[in-house]
Amino acid sequence: MNADMSLGSVIRSEWIKFRTVRSTLTGVFVMFILTIGLGALIAWATRSHWQTVSTADQVTFDPVSTSLIGIVFSQFAIGVIGSLLITSEYASGLIRTTLGAVPKRLMLVSGKLVVLIASMFVVTEVACFAAFFVGQSIFSGVVPTASLSSTSVVRAVIFAGLYLTILAVVSFSLGLIVRHSSATIGIFVTIVLILPLISLAIPESWRVHIVKFEPSELGNAMTSVVTPSGDLSASRSLLMLVIYAVVVLGAGALLFQRRDA
Amino acid sequence: MIKIEHLTKRYGDTLAVDDLDFEVRPGVITGFLGPNGSGKSTTMRVILGLDHPTKGRATVKGQDYASLRAPLHEVGALLDAKAVHPGRTARNHLRALAASNRIPFARVDEVLGFTGIDSVANKKVGNFSLGMSQRLGIAGALLGDPEVLLFDEPVNGLDPEGIRWIRDFFRSLANEGRTVFVSSHLMSEMAVTADQIIVIGRGKLITQGSIDSLTATAKGSVFVRASDHEKLISVLKTHGGDVSEANDEALSVSDLTSDQIGQIAFDADVVLFELTPQRASLEDVFMELTADSVEYGSSGARNER
Repeated sequence: MNADMSLGSVIRSEWIKFRTVRSTLTGVFVMFILTIGLGALIAWATRSHWQTVSTADQVTFDPVSTSLIGIVFSQFAIGVIGSLLITSEYASGLIRTTLGAVPKRLMLVSGKLVVLIASMFVVTEVACFAAFFVGQSIFSGVVPTASLSSTSVVRAVIFAGLYLTILAVVSFSLGLIVRHSSATIGIFVTIVLILPLISLAIPESWRVHIVKFEPSELGNAMTSVVTPSGDLSASRSLLMLVIYAVVVLGAGALLFQRRDA
Repeated sequence: MIKIEHLTKRYGDTLAVDDLDFEVRPGVITGFLGPNGSGKSTTMRVILGLDHPTKGRATVKGQDYASLRAPLHEVGALLDAKAVHPGRTARNHLRALAASNRIPFARVDEVLGFTGIDSVANKKVGNFSLGMSQRLGIAGALLGDPEVLLFDEPVNGLDPEGIRWIRDFFRSLANEGRTVFVSSHLMSEMAVTADQIIVIGRGKLITQGSIDSLTATAKGSVFVRASDHEKLISVLKTHGGDVSEANDEALSVSDLTSDQIGQIAFDADVVLFELTPQRASLEDVFMELTADSVEYGSSGARNER
């Protein structure tokens, strides 16, 4: 009888759970609206004020990262989705039912991760490419545009989706550690939004060494065609972000394995 | 079957379970009895691998729960009926559980029908009454057709009809040769539900045995009304019964079970109008057995987790 629990069956179970709660669908919907809608709004604002932009700024203008600016906001929707994947189970007590069916805890974490990464990668890439095309069509005729015929442009758009996907993993991992929805989301917001504000208070000579390692700055470098001055390169930024995610995930998985449910 | 071996569980400074040792056998309903905070839920969580033992171990069919290859096929458990995502429908909740252990979706419809909640299967469980949630939890426990079943305080908050349904249901499971382990803090409930009883207090084993043996120590009395009290009193006394007048029309008999009294009356051609075991005395024994632990519990340190 091939009725054993396995990673495949756990993934299937987690996929059913993931798509059958409204918060997931709402989160994805909000992510689309913010990524594409806010991107379009800012692209339109850029176009209508283009004549007043200084020549220096016109030269360094990046039509790709500007069209992808919506991810600065949609990352919070992603953070909520990643967190709720685990913290909603603690809130309801469902985690104990889940662990009753899947007592191998690392297998459960792996199953949730596969579902989260695969689904978030697909929806964020779709949203980011859509935001890119919408932005370029708004710029067209007035503001310089970018095209996917350039590999560095393709890279920037793909990395935008990867940035969001990895943040979903970070948020999920924080959820494994903290086990409360609001606290997890609070910490997540602190890391991506408050941290850059705090670093403004650090003396300039130190700040240049610190800012480039902040998750939000890594995202900025990843989605820019030309690496902004002082930042790590796009691929190094991606690597750095992956390292962050792996460290937090490792800590979360270890605690999840050891703690009482 | 379930085996608890020298199980100790400590939460910080709190000793929730203290060197507990017992076995739960198949084919009977085993009641797990103790005051609130005595360690029942902790023990059940350790059995299910949710909490890690500080010392000792708990095994199901000789294995640690976490090493079972398909847990839902071996063990069905209902710890907390409200431990479901309120925004998910009953059917989707069960489908997700089923998928994890490769149980076909047809089985989901079967257990929905069996527990009588098929009409609300597509409703969100957040709107369920406690009774419906209990039935959903039982449906989940039955998904894999397991041989071992655990229920933590299953009758809490149920209406009388639901309690009766659950009682009959446990009986049918035990009659099929399954291991049925049910916790409760109500002696009166266990007296009519369980065959075997394990009593704990302050995390320690107080006593275990059959309901009958516990009743024997309880010196429970039986309320009797019959056609010929005089005759009945004399035959009961010759069989060792301690008989007193409960009121003008009834007798109170102790040292004999209701079964025995019925047989004695039948043999003596006395017609019984009423034969009611007085469960309150069993309750008294339980109170007496666990009095220390209750006192200890109310002093503060112990919390049911």
